[in-house]
Amino acid sequence: MPFAAAVFGPILYAQKSEIAMTKNISRRQLLKTIGLTTVAGALAACAPPAAAPAAPASGAAAPTTAPAADGKVSLKWDTFRAPGTGWNEERIKTFTEKNPNVEIEFRPLTGASQQDNYGKMYAQFAAGDLGDVIAFDPSHFHFWRAINKGIITPLDDLAKSDNTDLTQWYEQFMNLQRVNGKLYGLPSWGWAGQDTMVINAIPFKEAGLTLPDPTAHETSMDTYAEWARKLYQKDSVFGLATTYDEGHLVTLTRAFNSDLIDAEGKKSLLATDTKAQDALRWAYKLAVEEKIMPRPADMADMVAAQVDGKVIMRWGGSLDVRNYKKAITGGAKGEVAQGLLPMRTDGKAPSQIRGGTWNILQTSANPGVAYQFLKHITSMEGSLGFNLVGGQGAFVRPDVVAELIKKDAIHEWFIPNLENGIIAHAPANSRGREYNDACSNWGTKMMDPNENIPFEQGLKDLHDNIQKVLDMEPA
Amino acid sequence: MLKATPTSPSLTPKTSQRTGKHQRSSAARRRDNLYGYLFLTPWLIGFFGLFVGPGLYSLYLSFTKYDVISPPTFIGLKNYVDMFTDDDLFWSSLLRTAYYAGLSVPLSVIGSMFLAILLNNKLRGITIYRTLFFMPSLVPLVASVILFKILLNGDFGLVNEGLRALGMENPPGWFADSKWAIPSLILIRLWGSLGGTQMIIFLAGLQGIPTELYDAAAIDGASAWQRTRNVTIPLLTPTIFFNSVLGIIGALQTFAAAFIATQGGPNFATWFFALHIWKQAFDYFNMGYAAALAWFFAILIVILTLIQMRLSKRFVFYYGE
Repeated sequence: MPFAAAVFGPILYAQKSEIAMTKNISRRQLLKTIGLTTVAGALAACAPPAAAPAAPASGAAAPTTAPAADGKVSLKWDTFRAPGTGWNEERIKTFTEKNPNVEIEFRPLTGASQQDNYGKMYAQFAAGDLGDVIAFDPSHFHFWRAINKGIITPLDDLAKSDNTDLTQWYEQFMNLQRVNGKLYGLPSWGWAGQDTMVINAIPFKEAGLTLPDPTAHETSMDTYAEWARKLYQKDSVFGLATTYDEGHLVTLTRAFNSDLIDAEGKKSLLATDTKAQDALRWAYKLAVEEKIMPRPADMADMVAAQVDGKVIMRWGGSLDVRNYKKAITGGAKGEVAQGLLPMRTDGKAPSQIRGGTWNILQTSANPGVAYQFLKHITSMEGSLGFNLVGGQGAFVRPDVVAELIKKDAIHEWFIPNLENGIIAHAPANSRGREYNDACSNWGTKMMDPNENIPFEQGLKDLHDNIQKVLDMEPA
Repeated sequence: MLKATPTSPSLTPKTSQRTGKHQRSSAARRRDNLYGYLFLTPWLIGFFGLFVGPGLYSLYLSFTKYDVISPPTFIGLKNYVDMFTDDDLFWSSLLRTAYYAGLSVPLSVIGSMFLAILLNNKLRGITIYRTLFFMPSLVPLVASVILFKILLNGDFGLVNEGLRALGMENPPGWFADSKWAIPSLILIRLWGSLGGTQMIIFLAGLQGIPTELYDAAAIDGASAWQRTRNVTIPLLTPTIFFNSVLGIIGALQTFAAAFIATQGGPNFATWFFALHIWKQAFDYFNMGYAAALAWFFAILIVILTLIQMRLSKRFVFYYGE
């Protein structure tokens, strides 16, 4: 009440004065009135709610629904995945046809970049307005943050009571959805990350080399290095190109039977694990000592360079293979081929399973219905449509990949690693974005041929800066 | 000697008339004021609601830990202490920004000024030249950056291919090279700004210089360079000052080109202070810390501007004063 009096008092006073015309409205008075009103309004608008939506203490909410007075159940679907393609609308239409008592409000998020949308989603959550069905992508590390902050709910009880067959998706994509033993999402888009050498087959064969079997892990890292040397032509052609972002560094170390950080996300392995050090030495030798790889920061235009025949092998992922094939148009001297990285001693394929997930808001009033909708959009039809209508790379289901193979046999190449890849490890403190930046900046610095940083120094800097992020207080 | 008596009949009506006029003018003034404030109100609401209000709120946030998801927690001066003691990128991004501003502003101001002097000549077709030089400033920044990224690609760009063809063994890596990344961004800035608004302001300044001064200098035997040095440049100092102040503020706030071209890389080479604030706020969601950085930076810019204002008394000349 005193707050209201402070805000509205001057307004009422000013109005009274005006009516009576007994007092002049001073500049100061008017400014004070407007100032107080707008500042108070701004503060009220900007301030978070008195209590942010509380996370249920015991994990999953019961699969209940809260129908409105007219018997309709309402869901809100917030996403930046596929708006404008018609896929979202088709999923809503087909779901509500089967469930006429459900209304789904589709609220597309259309930030300038994917990262913009997470900011908006966090703000929506703080304001109590985040949708029931949402997506916090593991590839951007927001998945783990959303779990740690109690934004998304575990789905185990919902899946159990629904008797959902969880084997309909590739095992590794399901493992990616599990944190501390609980299932937090159902996968829709996804691919095996940075697990291949995308090869332009024409110059590769012209150099007298034999293309590797695209589905066999038969080529050693030493052989790839030899090919890189053989294909390199000073100032005109690079045999191999790669970057040193988090995904590439992880797969590089995995190809040498190690990893970049431990599975708990608390420790960088670069200081102590000699296999991880061997991995970085392999790249350092080619990039800095022999200088036969392009500057890492030039990699942004590398797809075009590969189409032009200036890069022959590019370290990428299954999605890059498909995209490269699509990019070869109009008589470009290109033909796509793929080489897989050598199989690890533990029988796993060096990779970083990258994938999206659909999640349910922990405070959703209708988690049961939301779960049914999640199943609907991650079903075979939903996921296939996500590829063909939504234009996304969604290789998370064997039945979908089988359908995609009918359209383009190249998808067959991806199966070995989809079946046998390794999931991403995230920092335990939810500092994924900082981790990402530490990897790419310090990795690039170490491998920059112009910097000529001694290997040991580069390795130490990279390790120290990754560890520094892992040691930060939880976000 | 005039003696006014209390019963003087002439005084009463006059006083009464004056009071009536005063009352009428006072009421009219009040009404005018009211209308004035009424018309000002939309702007004032915007000013307080969208600038002062959020600004004050961000000042409050700078004393908190705030990640958007949870309510802000008051932590006193910790954010301000941390930026000086526990942020590896604080000083480096500040120095990098100063380097960028220190190099780009003089080049841009001096370049624009000489371009304006050239384009102030009464040549045939001068408006076409002016238009041609102004055109790059109309290209959206995003398009310029993408264009330059393609042209300046260290390994495959047209510029380096040309340099190699000319015999240069190791041409610069431009955006991909930590030593050349900032000069590359400066190149984009110069391309867009040399013939842009700054040049137009200089042209306006040049056309405000009285021609009789040039005539007098010519009669005294001053050469073209002497006329430029002793007439044009001194009388352009208010314009130079104006463009420098705005240029420095703009350069210190540089963000978009680095964000689009390099995302702060390579090796943090273009990690400017504004980008650091953005990263902390919208990528890491350390909103309280980002607010503290922003307030520190705003105060720094105000201090720098005040120093420039003070120094301007020594070198800015106003004609007629």
